[in-house]
Amino acid sequence: MVAEVLQEMDTFSVPFEAMASQCEVRVGARGQDHARRLAQAAIDEVRRIEAKYSRYRDDAIVARINALSGHDWVELDTETEALIAYAQTLYHSSEGKFDITSGVLRQAWDFRNQRVPLPDELARSLSLIGWYRVERAGGRIRLPLPGMELDFGGFGKEYAADRAANCMAERGARHGYVNLGGDLHVIGPQPDGSAWQIGIQDPRDPGRIIASIPVRRGALATSGDYERFFEHEGRRYCHILDPGSGYPVAYWRSVSVLAPLAIAAGSHATIAMLKQEEGLAFLEQSGLAYLAIDSEGRMHSRDAGQ
Amino acid sequence: MAATRQAPGGAILLAALALPGLAGAENAPEQASISLKYLDYQDRQPNLERVGVHSPSLELVLPVAGRWALRGALVSDLISGASPRYHTAVSGASRFSEKRNAADLSLTRYFARASATLAAGRSKETDYDSRFVSTQATVSSADNNTTWLFGAGVANDRIDPVNRAVKDEHKRTLDLMLGVTQVLGTRDIGQLVLGHVRGRGYFSNPYKFVDTRPRTHDQNSALLRWNHHFSASGATGRLSYRYTTDSYALRSHTVQQEYVRPLKGGWTLTPSLRLYTQSAARFYFDPVYDTRFGAPFPPGFSFAARRDLSADQRLAAYGALTAGLKVEKQLGRDTTLDFKWEQYWQRAGWRLFGSGSPGLERFSARSIQAGVTHRW
Repeated sequence: MVAEVLQEMDTFSVPFEAMASQCEVRVGARGQDHARRLAQAAIDEVRRIEAKYSRYRDDAIVARINALSGHDWVELDTETEALIAYAQTLYHSSEGKFDITSGVLRQAWDFRNQRVPLPDELARSLSLIGWYRVERAGGRIRLPLPGMELDFGGFGKEYAADRAANCMAERGARHGYVNLGGDLHVIGPQPDGSAWQIGIQDPRDPGRIIASIPVRRGALATSGDYERFFEHEGRRYCHILDPGSGYPVAYWRSVSVLAPLAIAAGSHATIAMLKQEEGLAFLEQSGLAYLAIDSEGRMHSRDAGQ
Repeated sequence: MAATRQAPGGAILLAALALPGLAGAENAPEQASISLKYLDYQDRQPNLERVGVHSPSLELVLPVAGRWALRGALVSDLISGASPRYHTAVSGASRFSEKRNAADLSLTRYFARASATLAAGRSKETDYDSRFVSTQATVSSADNNTTWLFGAGVANDRIDPVNRAVKDEHKRTLDLMLGVTQVLGTRDIGQLVLGHVRGRGYFSNPYKFVDTRPRTHDQNSALLRWNHHFSASGATGRLSYRYTTDSYALRSHTVQQEYVRPLKGGWTLTPSLRLYTQSAARFYFDPVYDTRFGAPFPPGFSFAARRDLSADQRLAAYGALTAGLKVEKQLGRDTTLDFKWEQYWQRAGWRLFGSGSPGLERFSARSIQAGVTHRW
């Protein structure tokens, strides 16, 4: 399902759709065939991860773990075990705010019908949250309570961007990037050596760019309150939910972070969103470059190398 | 924010780097590279230029299929200078000139959290032929914060000196290594490497008349390294300490400090300082000679009694200081030029933890290396 390859000098752009997002592979190559081969490897990798970590496919590992919640152990493969170890680091580094068991809150929050949940609906979901409850031993995992769920959606897209970029780099790509719905991994600069100019979307105006960041290598990821939200009685409810209160966060409109890997950039951005007013101190302490826009529209930033 | 506290950002990034297929501890080289270097070495003593070495070398690294790396190197040394003498204090040496050629090849397979290397090589001079094979493996923990290192190698040397002092002699060595590298927070890495070398065979210098060394030589060593990254300047400090002790009763201590400082415009400066001290081998004798036979025979020398003896300066007790500076310049994205200068000074009086061997002449050496590396 590779869309038409559009030639732009010696860089090629291959748009595609994956993980419910608009995606693009852009690569500097010696010709269309070469570009297509490189891009195909990246897109195949994105599709592999999408299928493997889908919550909706019965044969996917996450669906299996969730289906056996309250019952049995599930054997983990190396990749999944590594991602779960990563999730554990996120849980500790965020003081419990980034919790991959908090996906059950989606049952209480109905974004399609734009309905604020009733207190007992929220309480039921909250009772099933808690990374500390998850049992792990010898490469196996078990969710102890029936109805508990794991969800890799908090970093799956960024992980796929990193893996896809690595696939292209392994095949010799030196220039280009993988962009999965705004989470980017830049393999290397444009063929002439200059940086890619990556625009950051205005969180209140989808058509407007509020900043442009030059990136030669590394990753940029953004977490915002504008990806999925509804407004009810003058209040905005976004899809980033605090696992403690069960309510959407409200302090930041968006947080963009630059890091060597998209998964690290995205995790920092999401944790900053979840930490609300403490998010700025968290970003400062990370030492990474960021651009954060608070609920009043004020910009906070730190440049790379500061 | 306290600089000493590990930043959560650092922990997340480290955890991310540990994920498979991204950037593990062991990364196969992504680019092929070729390095051409030229080394010029000259050592000297007061009023005497001793050995000079001119040594061009070529190294090639080829990534294969993203999981393998093939590395090959060729070195040719042209050695000229004063022939070996009894003690360094004795002058009047004749000149010699010699050529050594060496080649080695290694193949590394990279796994998600491990690597395995097999290497073999050969070095050949007219009177000395050395071959080795070695294997090395690294294994990292799931979080990639700890890496274990295992190594083993064997070397087989054949010694056939032109003066026929001995004929078809052999030396075999077995080399074992065990190490661990530990990430200590976001800015520090520590490493401990323990080594054991077991040698059997001919260790004497056939060109020295009074040089008889034991036919067994075992050595144990411990190396402790600590690298610290200064995030304010982007510089890295590398501190190391090495201790060795061997069956000759020779003990040595080495402390080295390097400071890698990246500058604007693709320049990197690396000044370094190394302190070294060693005790004498138990069969080393000072330059005091027998009154009947004169040099090179030590007092009380008997032709009948074969006992271990050596006047080799390298087995004496002394201390040494090395100062160096490396300058690197990145040209474009794929080419690096480097230039390294090192000066070595050795004095008996600089020995630490004891007195130096008496009567040793001062000794110094200077080495200059220039190189170019290209990646593609």
